[in-house]
Amino acid sequence: MKAFFYGAALQWKLDIRNKTLLLNCYLIPLVFFAIMGGIFTSVMPQAKDTLIQSMTIFGVTMGALIGVPPSLVEIYSSDVKKVYQANGVPLWFGFVLVNLSAFVHLFMMSIILYFVAPRMFDVVLPKQPGVYFLCLAVFILVSLSVAGMIGLAVKDQTKTSMVSILIFLPSIMLSGIMFPVALLPKAFEHAGKIFPATWGYKLMIENIQHRQDLFALLLILAIASVLCAVLLRKISR
Amino acid sequence: MNTAIQIKNLKKQYGNQSVLNGISFEVKQGEIFALLGGNGAGKTTTLECMEGLKKYESGTIQVNGTVGIQLQSASLPKHIKAKEAIQLFAKWNKAQIDDKILANFGINRFAEKQYHQLSTRQKRRLHLVLALLRNPDILFLDEPTAGLDLEGRASLHEQIRQLKAKGVTIILASHDMAEVECLCDRIAILNKGNLAFVGTLEQLHQTVSKQYCITITTNRKTEHYPSEHISETLLPLLAQYQAQGIEVLDIQVNRGSLEQHFIKFAKEA
Repeated sequence: MKAFFYGAALQWKLDIRNKTLLLNCYLIPLVFFAIMGGIFTSVMPQAKDTLIQSMTIFGVTMGALIGVPPSLVEIYSSDVKKVYQANGVPLWFGFVLVNLSAFVHLFMMSIILYFVAPRMFDVVLPKQPGVYFLCLAVFILVSLSVAGMIGLAVKDQTKTSMVSILIFLPSIMLSGIMFPVALLPKAFEHAGKIFPATWGYKLMIENIQHRQDLFALLLILAIASVLCAVLLRKISR
Repeated sequence: MNTAIQIKNLKKQYGNQSVLNGISFEVKQGEIFALLGGNGAGKTTTLECMEGLKKYESGTIQVNGTVGIQLQSASLPKHIKAKEAIQLFAKWNKAQIDDKILANFGINRFAEKQYHQLSTRQKRRLHLVLALLRNPDILFLDEPTAGLDLEGRASLHEQIRQLKAKGVTIILASHDMAEVECLCDRIAILNKGNLAFVGTLEQLHQTVSKQYCITITTNRKTEHYPSEHISETLLPLLAQYQAQGIEVLDIQVNRGSLEQHFIKFAKEA
């Protein structure tokens, strides 16, 4: 257990030293929030009701899908993996630590956004903060599981970036955070349902009133977790 | 001498391609044992099967003792500091960090540096220290001096000798024949997945070539004489030189280097 906690703290430090993750988990989401928050609330005053949720969905999706896979590729598609194996460290160790650290970073970014948004744009805070943060935790977990799949399945840093962007862009565009999903063609509306961002946004606005959103996220989490386990097993051979 | 590792009829395939065709050999406790072979001969695969990092189709590998592994191509996350890597692996293996080992390998001089800032030599040292954390009875070294300068090689050779003196069994895969010649007690030569030779260097010399090359330098010229029995060739020659009033300046008897024997052996095999 000591090794696990030491590893978790170390991974946290490594992520801080790794500027790319900080950029994807903090700087870009918060700068996007500062700019788009101003635009959204000016153009559509009703956006004040959902700005925290929509910007959080953007930030978490970006941090997870763009920030995490490269860290996993660094371990699993390189000689780092062999060094872990050679020194008796199980392969799940790196995967869990990277995701745990990213979870904490993304949660912190979301908390910053939660407290800054009302002061900057006079937006409405979620009515039930406890439930809101619970929903946020579920959404981060699901987003990380999808990011984990990308990081384990794709073996190359350049390809990883491409795949991440290919999943990130439709996640954001079809999730309803930029414009109402009802305005999209039906096919796009349905396509958006395969991404966690769509369900996460609904869940964080509706605060578990609609169990369907939570179940959809848990289903994605279950599928992604099984696939991650299969990929880890394959990698360890 | 007890057996540290026993391999029997080891077979390994990648897809349809056979990489190891049923090799068998033993490594004795406390010896430095080298695995030699050209590219694709199967030495890294053999090593990784012995280390437990690769699965194999059939055969048995019995390893008697704790194992430390230094890989040929090893890496760590680029932002991890040397001391953090040592602490992480020590904690995971519930191992005590031996300050003497850190001092011997000069780790303290670069303990605060991040992995991507380390030189090849420092990386090799760090990986060797990681391999030694579990206080292994058996140490696997795959191309340990590749990429090192002369000073780095000499220093690493000295450390390998010290480990042997402590009773650690060392299995070494190397392309460097001079390194093998100066460090190893016994060698195994692999050729296209087959074991071509196992034994001491002396046995290899005897197996490959019984012929010596005598080089005599006189005040007139240098001449080479092939010979199977040194005294039978050398004594008449010296008598002849003396009779002709030729002054002998230097005599060298050469049995050929390991490298020459290895190339010849690999070709014949």
